[in-house]
Amino acid sequence: MPENNDTEPKIGVFICHCGSNIAGYLDMEALADYAQTLPHVAFVQRNLYTCSETGINEIKKGIEDHNLNRVVVASCSPRTHEPLFRSSCEEAGLNPYLFEMVNIRDQCSWVHMKEKEDGTAKAKDLMAMGIAKAALLKAQNPIISEVTPRALIIGGGMAGMTAALGLANRGYEVVLVERETSLGGLLNQLNRLGPSMINAADVVQEKVKAIMNHPEVTVFTEAGVVDVKGFIGKFQVGIETRTGIKNIDIGVIVVAIGGAPFVPHGMYGYNGQTVITQFEFEQRLKEGPDPEIKNIVMIQCVGIRNEERPYCSRICCQTAVKNAMLLKDHNPDANVFILYRDMQMYGVENEEMFRDSKAKGVRYIHYDPAIPPEVESHKVKVYHSLLGKDMALPADLVVLSTPLVAHKDVGETSQLLRVPVDENGFFLEGHVKLKPLDFATDGIFLCGSARFPANIRETIAQGLGAASRASIPLSKGSVVVEPIISVLADEDACRGCGLCVPLCPYGALEIEHNQKGRKVHVIDVACKGCGVCAATCYQHALTINSFTDEQIDAQIDAFLA
Amino acid sequence: MTKDVLIIGGGIAGIQASLDLADMGVKVHLVEKLPSIGGKMAQLDKTFPTNDCAI
Amino acid sequence: MLDVGRHPNIELLAYSEVENLEGQAGDFRITVRKKARYVEENKCTGCGACSEKCPTTVPDAFNEGLGTRRAVYAYFAQGIPSTRTIDPDHCRQLKGKKCGICAKICQADAIDFDQKDRMMELNVGAIILAAGYDVFDPSLIPEYRYREIPNVVTAIEFERILSASGPTGGHVDRPSDLAVKADIEPLEKKINKSGRTLEKFEKKYNQTSQEFYTSYTPGEYVDDDDLKKWSDKYRDHFSIVQTLEALKKKAKTFDPAKRLAFIQCVGSRDFRFYPFCSGYCCMHSIKEAIIANEHDPETTSTIFGMDIRAVGKGFEEYKIRGGNTSGITYVRGRAAEITEGPEHNPVVIYEDTRERKVKSQDFDMVILATACAPSKGIVELSKILGIALDDYGFVKTSALSPVDTTVPGIFVCGCAESPMDVPESVAQASSAAERAAEIVFQPDFEKGKAIA
Repeated sequence: MPENNDTEPKIGVFICHCGSNIAGYLDMEALADYAQTLPHVAFVQRNLYTCSETGINEIKKGIEDHNLNRVVVASCSPRTHEPLFRSSCEEAGLNPYLFEMVNIRDQCSWVHMKEKEDGTAKAKDLMAMGIAKAALLKAQNPIISEVTPRALIIGGGMAGMTAALGLANRGYEVVLVERETSLGGLLNQLNRLGPSMINAADVVQEKVKAIMNHPEVTVFTEAGVVDVKGFIGKFQVGIETRTGIKNIDIGVIVVAIGGAPFVPHGMYGYNGQTVITQFEFEQRLKEGPDPEIKNIVMIQCVGIRNEERPYCSRICCQTAVKNAMLLKDHNPDANVFILYRDMQMYGVENEEMFRDSKAKGVRYIHYDPAIPPEVESHKVKVYHSLLGKDMALPADLVVLSTPLVAHKDVGETSQLLRVPVDENGFFLEGHVKLKPLDFATDGIFLCGSARFPANIRETIAQGLGAASRASIPLSKGSVVVEPIISVLADEDACRGCGLCVPLCPYGALEIEHNQKGRKVHVIDVACKGCGVCAATCYQHALTINSFTDEQIDAQIDAFLA
Repeated sequence: MTKDVLIIGGGIAGIQASLDLADMGVKVHLVEKLPSIGGKMAQLDKTFPTNDCAI
Repeated sequence: MLDVGRHPNIELLAYSEVENLEGQAGDFRITVRKKARYVEENKCTGCGACSEKCPTTVPDAFNEGLGTRRAVYAYFAQGIPSTRTIDPDHCRQLKGKKCGICAKICQADAIDFDQKDRMMELNVGAIILAAGYDVFDPSLIPEYRYREIPNVVTAIEFERILSASGPTGGHVDRPSDLAVKADIEPLEKKINKSGRTLEKFEKKYNQTSQEFYTSYTPGEYVDDDDLKKWSDKYRDHFSIVQTLEALKKKAKTFDPAKRLAFIQCVGSRDFRFYPFCSGYCCMHSIKEAIIANEHDPETTSTIFGMDIRAVGKGFEEYKIRGGNTSGITYVRGRAAEITEGPEHNPVVIYEDTRERKVKSQDFDMVILATACAPSKGIVELSKILGIALDDYGFVKTSALSPVDTTVPGIFVCGCAESPMDVPESVAQASSAAERAAEIVFQPDFEKGKAIA
């Protein structure tokens, strides 16, 4: 990229009419005349549409004809048009970071449609500020860092295996790390999966076979990640295996450590024998249910949707309905009651299963959490809130539907990778709506019940999705970062206090020891230029490229002048 | 040489699929029947649970 | 959305439809119809000058018909591409009348009334279907009287009412009140016009219209056309003024809606229509109730539902928070009927299943949480693509291959697959991208492992 770090700034100012969007409400001639009077301005031009092909050519011609070394466009929003203008500058031989945009439309002409005079005065101020900043801009070059073409998947359950296979099928090397002796995760202990009642063991077996036979996948069982250094594209990961620590270079990481069924000690007389969890009931169903058991009562929302654990664990209702149906298949005469608060049978398949279960004779009783059921010997007492009366249901077996809670490894994994968890202990994605499978930190992804309880269909979808997300940096081969990032502009001023390090949302700061002592180091490829560190640094040692203190001071001075 | 991918529908799902593939280096053709992409989500004022702007 | 518009690897074919498909995974050949916009995409800068001057007003689909747009329009303000489109069903020029104002206004010379549909051929390795869903039409449920009671709206209509960029500027104005306000404007225009005519008479005869009319006895000026016209004009004028004043007086009493009811499972979990649960509607209602309360903290909402299904991450907490801080009451029960009370207030009749009583309550506005219906075009599209649909019209998949359709190389994501919310759609979209990538990239497995 051209350097253009030169002597005297020569600024070209291009003022866009945006048809009548700007010109209809502001005095364009006055703006142009005013720009001409500002320091370092060498050329001023008005365009009907600066973003049109004609407008772009005018910018290029201006740079050439007038030897401009800074360009300011006063028009619309940088959100939509800055990339276009930057690349136009570059095509004309000017470093794209010597460009500044002033928004005189969205924040000026549009909001002051009825105040031409005041609007024009405001546009003048905005332009003076932009031009003052432009004079101080420095050429920047994008930061490029290679990506090691290898993925690490932490967790060998359904989510992790699916993500691993996806990446491997795309031709990327995958390292899969599993704590337990075998792959499969929670699925190993489940019976059949609703609503299609497929055998969980078959599903696991097929997936494990594909993983083991895949030339691109290396599996470490009874292993754990013990050390993670580096950043996207260049992680150095230490994995503790049966044969000692292996240090492996990794490009991207997928977190798929799953969740764990909650054990309801001290609740509803839980004893693991006559009062068991839904998870334990799965294992009994796997072995074939006891034909002696005629009366079963299931209680939903045990240890969940309360003050301690306020969330809904999403999958417990569908699990209970599925198991109730399986039991009825085995023993159509059995009485199965499900005591519930809300039956969370969302979507097409779940609601169908819910309906079918009623046809099979599974019975549902609504209870109020303020008046919870009481488990006694061989019976469950419940206040039927819809009938308004107390009932006593005979019960040979009581099954408690407990939630999936955060896996015990969450804390350690979160610390190693420097990624956040939410108030319920599940990993917190980059954006709950739009980035469900990405962490805010580049190069680290998540899927499955480590994110939030998920059924088999959702887990597989998320595993594939995480593979897609993780494959993007791998397929690019390098990470290119906009150079508008934090820099340690004044190394001497940095006292290495480390205040900034935990505040960085992207894990882009670390304290290092060099000849000058403890100093902060910015991992440039991880930095997003948000400016939190620069705002925190009381020594003003950190600053953001293209938003330096000097540049912002100049803007304030220009406004007050 | 990598083949292109066709995506039918320019709502949030089609947009996300397009961006993923395009970022992998795949050429994507995104077909939308309406004059603009954005789908139903663009009609939403804000989204739960964070109440972020939908656009 | 913006990223799609400027991504070098994405060719955006908006206002286009797939017409034909041949071939198989790895080598599909597709015919796409690019519909004529009558605006040249490479010239239009999206400035909007044409829409400002266009004389033809059309109900605005983006605002669910609650507002209006012009015959040359942007689908919505921030739409990508920003290229305007001329609606051939309403444009005067394209309907053969004299107009062409937009072509004269456009400084970019982008209007082209002669543009034709263009057919394009594409060759791709894989296809992802993300055709979305349609909002269930609640007028099919007679007992909710959606079309009859003006203040019964759908959730997506209410979304536009809440939106600052919507037809009411984000004020929760009741449709019945908006209708009255909408009546005021043309009446004002009318009396301005007749006022000017009366002025001419007043000047001519040097008398105020009122004085003239008071002294006038019907039948008096039968022979004098001019004076008869004056008296007729004044009579009409006066009656409009009275109507207008009554409307204005009424409009002054209008308050934004403060007592809201949300009816869940409208078309969903209903054997007459869709037996499935649409998944997202409970949260949609809770969100709208919370936003309405943010607009005005006096707003209260009652949500009528059988189960409140808050199953996503953070949803249950959001539901509880809504109840505690945003004036939401949850009533367990399905609304049986909606009738119209005084002041166009909808009255909800329901059984409170916890109290085992049939009750009725009147509200300022009722919002129907409509089902996620399969997209109307999906049957035809599925025939073109050769993929199977399920019993309802969603694209058929299986639990273990959640984004694979019945045709190899064609994948599905989002609400075309089944009802789901935004994060699930986004996650599924990435899954479909992964499956498509597995086809279009041909990896070389020969190189072997680096890690033993």
